[in-house]
Amino acid sequence: MTSIGTGYDLSASTYSPDGRIFQIEYANKAVENSGTAIGLRVKDGVVLAVEKLTHSKLLVPGVNRRIQTVDRHIGMATAGLLADGRTLSKRARDEAASYRDAYRQPPPLKAISDRLGLYVQMYTLYSSVRPFGISTILGAVDKDGPGLYVVEPSGVFFGYHGAAVGKGRQIAKTELEKLKLTELSTREAVIEAARIIYLVHEDTKEKDFELEMTWIGEETNNIHLPVPKDLLVEAETKAKASLEATFD
Amino acid sequence: MDHFPTNWGRPRNDAYDAYGTYPIAVRPNNALKDAFSAGVQRTQAPIVTGTSVLALKYKDGIMMAADNLASYGSLARFKDVKRLQTVGEHTVIGAGGDMSDFQYIQTVLDELMIDEFAEQDGHTLGPAEIHEYLSQVMYARRSKLDPLWNALLVGGYKDGQRFLAFVDLLGTTYSASTLATGYGAHIAQPLLRTAVEGNEDVLTEDEALKIIEQCMRVLFYRDARSLDKYQVAKITAEGATISDTRRLDTTWSFAEGIRGYGAQTE
Amino acid sequence: MPNMISLAQPQQRQFNPYTENGGTILAIAGADFSVIAGDTRQSEGYSIQTRYAPKVFRLTDKAVLAVNGFAADGNMFVKKVRQRLEWYRHAHAKDMPLRAIARLIQTMLYARRFFPFYVYNILGGIEEDGTGAVYSFDPVGSYEREACRAAGAAQSLVQPFLDNQIYFKNQTPAPGTSHPVHLPLSTVLALVIDSFTSATERHIEVGDGLEMYVVLSKGSTAFQSLGAIHGIQELTATEDGERVFVIRRELKKD
Repeated sequence: MTSIGTGYDLSASTYSPDGRIFQIEYANKAVENSGTAIGLRVKDGVVLAVEKLTHSKLLVPGVNRRIQTVDRHIGMATAGLLADGRTLSKRARDEAASYRDAYRQPPPLKAISDRLGLYVQMYTLYSSVRPFGISTILGAVDKDGPGLYVVEPSGVFFGYHGAAVGKGRQIAKTELEKLKLTELSTREAVIEAARIIYLVHEDTKEKDFELEMTWIGEETNNIHLPVPKDLLVEAETKAKASLEATFD
Repeated sequence: MDHFPTNWGRPRNDAYDAYGTYPIAVRPNNALKDAFSAGVQRTQAPIVTGTSVLALKYKDGIMMAADNLASYGSLARFKDVKRLQTVGEHTVIGAGGDMSDFQYIQTVLDELMIDEFAEQDGHTLGPAEIHEYLSQVMYARRSKLDPLWNALLVGGYKDGQRFLAFVDLLGTTYSASTLATGYGAHIAQPLLRTAVEGNEDVLTEDEALKIIEQCMRVLFYRDARSLDKYQVAKITAEGATISDTRRLDTTWSFAEGIRGYGAQTE
Repeated sequence: MPNMISLAQPQQRQFNPYTENGGTILAIAGADFSVIAGDTRQSEGYSIQTRYAPKVFRLTDKAVLAVNGFAADGNMFVKKVRQRLEWYRHAHAKDMPLRAIARLIQTMLYARRFFPFYVYNILGGIEEDGTGAVYSFDPVGSYEREACRAAGAAQSLVQPFLDNQIYFKNQTPAPGTSHPVHLPLSTVLALVIDSFTSATERHIEVGDGLEMYVVLSKGSTAFQSLGAIHGIQELTATEDGERVFVIRRELKKD
């Protein structure tokens, strides 16, 4: 069924006769237009990586980050509308602070994902607002070990071993499925993540991009930090090399 | 419940107000004067308290010490309390005064540091910034007549610079090469100044530790609200570390020779 | 019947938001210069908190403010005055004139009439007509322009000395001369140093260090007669206007 001209796609507060909410589906389209973001939950940590498409050569490198820090041990990567990502990360930080205020301990990732899910879902209920145009990958190492969740525009969230959102998610997912995620170390996962982002980018034949990557694991003391310069360079070199090998 | 019999009405108690002459004007009025003010409880006095904190500058950075006691009046109530706390990579704060207020300050600073960390802008708060922030918080609270009842030392080392400063419940701030709060300001500070002033750039870590230890010992001998269990913090270019609890070795054998009070058989 | 003579009154111990941090400040105006000075000791009761806590602050190239009393209020007050002066600069692209700063300070102090900043302020600098000026304030903003003023712990020791030496009180002029006259900078600096060494001798809250700020009118030649002053440091920020200097001296530390 097409939504065009039926009038059921104008508001998030109206179902179509066959039970769909078109505004949410359009929000998913916004996500699909975005550069890919992936998350890997491995043996002792989590890696987040983003294919940040740079729309202009005049941009300062490192600007318009799409991976943000929520708490010391929690990071999130978004695919979709950049500004929506900022709004949601602010909400995530507020939720983390409020959890700490109430329980005097670091928030478990599940609690934050749950609250963000509720928040995002609120924007699917009213005609006065539009749903979030982003899918969010949340990663953390908390008291239960490494965790990885994805919050979608509808407000649903699921836990994953490996997650991919954005334009190249299908290829990325195929690649992720090939990995033995539960056996990988965080350092190894960084290399794999870079490889997948480069591979995905090669396939979509987009403009320039920057690889943005963070990790949380034993090596970072379970704190969410950007992947250090030397490791990032190593990962990118290996990623490029593996691409050449594939095409040779 | 009104505990003042003069306010209970007749019958009077002839033991203290035989003729009903006790002036009405000076009778305590226990009625609520203002329903709003009754709803707010401000810190009127510290309850569970820590005593002195000491700190000094030495060649490589800052050294700070505080014992592990939190007193409830004259009762030694909690004997494993941590009164030194790292804040970020480069800073240690030490607190005397009300321990619940100090714990509140710790949560406030933790939230501040997380907010700053989440910015991921390449900047971290150093001791100078943390001291300034604390000063503004302390001064703002005293200005609301709702003080955080503490005397705090902030010590740190960042960008090749040593930092040591004080702030208290009034928002009073100052900086010097040796600092001490509470009883330590009277007993330890003169010893610290003698040992440190002019030697800030030559004192080694071992020498600094000896000075601190001696001051803690003198304080334990003379301050009734102190303990022989204490911790020492060190902040240098390598970062901030707080030691495990240490114990002072003290001598009490001279007490055997004291005559004149207490139970003696001869 | 129990002995009920002791009538325990309800005890109300109220938090006292003030303290007194000792020290002394003073300022003297010359014909085309102004000297603003203060010691650097900060104390509470019998304890010296630090031997170096500045009480004198350069606000602009033509204004210096000395603040004495409750140190926390003093620092906060200076911070707020500086913020207002910065806003003025952003709005008008120039520094606020001295007499305007004086009126600003009065307004800011009086705004806290019912929870005062417990500080005595002395503002020194150069007026728009190029003359040296001193303004003194009480904690709630009463102020006047004067030729000299001492405030703080040793005010009662220093002010009479200044009255005698600056205003020539209780002095009869030598035949053929008249006074008061404006004193040269060298004499003023000597008086300031003498004031503080004397106050240090007789007052326990004064000592450790002395900071003297000198503000010179545009084109003033007051310095030329002085020769090199040991340890003098220039703090002037702009060209072709008033100049600000600071001179530091040690005071006894006992």
